Amino acid sequence: MISAVDLVADIADALAAVLPEQRWFSGKGRPIHAIIPLRATDLAGADPRLVHAVVEVDQGELPRDRYQFLFGVRSDVPENLGHAWVAASGDQGVYQAENDVELAVLLLDLMARGTEVQGLRFATEPGVTLDTEQRSRPVGAEQSNTSLVYGQTYILKLFRKVAAGRNRDLEMHRALAAVGCQHIAAPLGSIEGPLGTAGEADTAAFGMLTEYLRNVADGWAMATASVRDLLAESLLIEGAPGSVEHADPADVGGDFASEAYRLGHVVATVHTDLATALGSSPAPAGYLDMLADGMHRRLDGVLEQVPELSPHSDELRAAFDAVRGFEGPLPVQQVHGDLHLGQVLRSVTGWVLIDFEGEPMVPLADRDAPASPLRDVAAMLRSLDYAANHLPLGETDSEQRAAVALAWSTRNQDAFCDGYAQAAPDPRKQAVLLRAFELDKALYEVAYEHGNRPLWLPIPLAAIARLTAAHP
Amino acid sequence: MSSADLRTEPNPDLEGVPHTGEAVLSDGYLVEPQADDFDHAKAAPTDPHWYKRAVFYEVLVRAFHDHDGNGTGDLIGLTRKLDYLEWLGIDCLWLPPFYASPLRDGGYDISDFRAVLPEFGTVEDFVELLNEAHKRGIRVITDLVMNHTSDQHPWFQESRRDPQGPYGGFYVWSDKDTGYPEARVIFVDTETSNWTYDPVRCQFYWHRFFSHQPDLNYDNPEVGEAMLDVLRFWLDLGIDGFRLDAVPYLFEEEGTNCENLPRTHGFLKRCRKVVDDEYPDRVLLAEANQWPADVVEYFGDPAVGGDEAHMAFHFPLMPRIFMAVRRESRFPISEILAQTPAIPSGAQWGIFLRNHDELTLEMVTDEERDYMYSEYVKDPRMRANIGIRRRLAPLLDNDRNQLELFTALLLSLPGSPVLYYGDEIGMGDNIWLGDRDAVRTPMQWTPDRNAGFSCCDPGRIYLPVIMDPVYGYQAINVEAQSASTQSLLNWTRRMIQVRREHPAFGLGDFNELGSSNPSVLAYRRHHVGNHDTDDDLVICINNLSRFPQPVELDLSEYAGGVPVELTGGVRFPPIGELPYLLTLPGHGFYWFQIVLPDIGRDA
Repeated sequence: MISAVDLVADIADALAAVLPEQRWFSGKGRPIHAIIPLRATDLAGADPRLVHAVVEVDQGELPRDRYQFLFGVRSDVPENLGHAWVAASGDQGVYQAENDVELAVLLLDLMARGTEVQGLRFATEPGVTLDTEQRSRPVGAEQSNTSLVYGQTYILKLFRKVAAGRNRDLEMHRALAAVGCQHIAAPLGSIEGPLGTAGEADTAAFGMLTEYLRNVADGWAMATASVRDLLAESLLIEGAPGSVEHADPADVGGDFASEAYRLGHVVATVHTDLATALGSSPAPAGYLDMLADGMHRRLDGVLEQVPELSPHSDELRAAFDAVRGFEGPLPVQQVHGDLHLGQVLRSVTGWVLIDFEGEPMVPLADRDAPASPLRDVAAMLRSLDYAANHLPLGETDSEQRAAVALAWSTRNQDAFCDGYAQAAPDPRKQAVLLRAFELDKALYEVAYEHGNRPLWLPIPLAAIARLTAAHP
Repeated sequence: MSSADLRTEPNPDLEGVPHTGEAVLSDGYLVEPQADDFDHAKAAPTDPHWYKRAVFYEVLVRAFHDHDGNGTGDLIGLTRKLDYLEWLGIDCLWLPPFYASPLRDGGYDISDFRAVLPEFGTVEDFVELLNEAHKRGIRVITDLVMNHTSDQHPWFQESRRDPQGPYGGFYVWSDKDTGYPEARVIFVDTETSNWTYDPVRCQFYWHRFFSHQPDLNYDNPEVGEAMLDVLRFWLDLGIDGFRLDAVPYLFEEEGTNCENLPRTHGFLKRCRKVVDDEYPDRVLLAEANQWPADVVEYFGDPAVGGDEAHMAFHFPLMPRIFMAVRRESRFPISEILAQTPAIPSGAQWGIFLRNHDELTLEMVTDEERDYMYSEYVKDPRMRANIGIRRRLAPLLDNDRNQLELFTALLLSLPGSPVLYYGDEIGMGDNIWLGDRDAVRTPMQWTPDRNAGFSCCDPGRIYLPVIMDPVYGYQAINVEAQSASTQSLLNWTRRMIQVRREHPAFGLGDFNELGSSNPSVLAYRRHHVGNHDTDDDLVICINNLSRFPQPVELDLSEYAGGVPVELTGGVRFPPIGELPYLLTLPGHGFYWFQIVLPDIGRDA
């Protein structure tokens, strides 16, 4: 049998062809010069055989990105795995194994048994016993991970782009579980180990097993269902052309405010739990200037690309400068870091926060730096505004629609803050900071939409116009 | 008032028919009618768990059909309409009380447990109804109020007149009105205290409901025996069971709120034992308007499959269904079902969309009250519509899609469905008649005079028939809808048939199938049969939104199986490892049987 290392070397060229098709590959659009295997480990079996690998992708720039793979090897690759095909090696076929029910369940076995293979540690969290009689299935495409669901019980998140060092998602889940936080998916197991077998001895996290939350829907789906209902009701009472009369979001059946309230309460509770678990301290000297400087820098960058923003630049700068003079207590702590409606799930017992990796585009050191919890609050307020506005997109003569969206957004942002204030200080009491965080987030959105979804650009632009017009 | 007056008949209407107190024995005991004074009905076909699969139909005798033309429905009228109920597919009728009563509380103020309200007919008429129903495989249950009687009941009249007589201790008497201070006043709008002074006995008597409904004193063993004899009286005649009204309140104990006391459960166990030992195949349905976690206590000991009530109503489900459709979110339903504890193997929930007992906020825990308040009472429309009594069709704006969705939910969620008379044709209500009577108007049979309900002078009908252009009897009636294949009536009948063909609906377990679309409620009902061939696996998918929705379901557990749509038998694409994609029209739903390859190859 060919060794795992040789096997991966054998298929490296084919991988270069397969990689750009993967949703989680972040080097799209740049040529791949070489695929350099860092490690390759046999996990189980002969035919089928399960091989774990990490490869480095040379795209001419440094540092090079590293990616995790699970390969299945079979003499006879079944038809239903055809879409995962990578290459032939000898008389066997090599394919991505996360789609192979027979092989994927072995990962659970390895964790349950606490196996270590060539430094690769499969482990359960303390006190956890796994039921390994679970059928696996891969779930939806994700930006940076591949997830496998086992039965209706566990979900294994495999980090595809891997880096040496601590894994924020895993650490935050562990810290929150340790203080008994009820609003996360309980962490149950992990796969960790050295990034490479030779030279690269630094440890990386490859996978995190958590409880699978059955019967959940994400906040975005919940919120947009509510907006959809409000718009439909408003169409029914639409007045003469140009009229901005619309249904009151408090009166229609799809009202989301009580959900937004409970969501605010849960976010505040998680913030409190994070402070308990990982500490909270007064912001260091210079923090406010650092914040303001950062916001100005972002504005400089975005202004260059998006001239539509220039009418608001004076107000934006004033709002950012106001941060420097903020007075009052300003604790900093670990926060979620990338909070939006897609990162919160409604379960039959309430809201749950997922995915504590932080903003994927930001370097780990910055993601790890303690921050004001208001950043998360501002991010969620922006997400609610997005939900309010996503449906009217593309409508012409949409003054009434915009009024509906504003009414929904205002009602649910208020409800979120009301709920938040039940378990932590009312974020609206720190209006200067909250507004600056919201504007900063909106600038990030402007840049993103400008580059990726120009049709959506009006959403953050309108928010900036509105937020800068209203002085706190 | 002299004591001589009190010896006059409390129920003068019962002159000429057997009734309680038509004679008094030398020891002071009242002579009461005995079951052997009447013919007994033939029993319905034997089936020990019939109530788990049954479709119930709540029908008011007064409102269904008037046989003698006096303007009020009667037992003979109902008997004449049994063919219709059999055709519709009804398994069991639930009749609210038809006992002799001064009717100050809709008949729940019973003045003689062993006589029928004369305007409804006689005990003989009731036995005839039982006979004819049983011939058609239909069972009949009725309400029995065990906690109290009317103050017109001869027991109470004797009790107040003669404290030393055999009935002196049948009620809860006291010289003071200060006992049991922790028991709340339930009807706060009309009553200020649970004690009322009786000028005849010159003592206070205890009542948890209206002051004209004195509570029976279960501390007195004779009361329990007397009530068990009332059960036996009707069971001997052939009745199939009782809905036991106001059960949490039977016993009183100082220092408690006098609800759900252990001795109350003890008495229910005695009732159940009488049924199990002497009258197998009959059921007890407890009315305990409380949260499911508390109601479960009324099923009794799970170790023996339950030894109190066979059934209890699941009250909070109904408003949650309305809320879920209004929110276009499954979570109001998912949450309450997730909070509903397992029930003993011999027990079953009764579920309903409309009946005269609805969720009241007094009964729920603080946390739940907060939830219900934020989600339900604050919504002006929910507040206006659910609190007062409306019929299903007007509640849903007469929207056929929603009527079908709600009915499909009722017929497929865990529990035995209870339909309310007239809802199968989409009858309307008459809100000008006020809270109670709005939904009690005559059943609409035909477009003829009085909706075919009665041949009397229209002015003589107990309540006017509905006459508005949308819901009036000329538009909405059984005759017209029977003739139309597209009618709500024929649709409902078809769905009841489908339900009957699949034991999973009545006997199966319940598991929600989550999906990422919050507007879709999907669940599995699975009945594990004794043999592979009895296995019944049904999947129900409901779109709670008015807009079309996609849903991806994880059915990989049944990979290789084929979903067969239950109303038309159409085979859908087979299930694979990948999520199963379905699209549903606004307020649409599907019922599928999953035919697995090893047992269903020839299906």
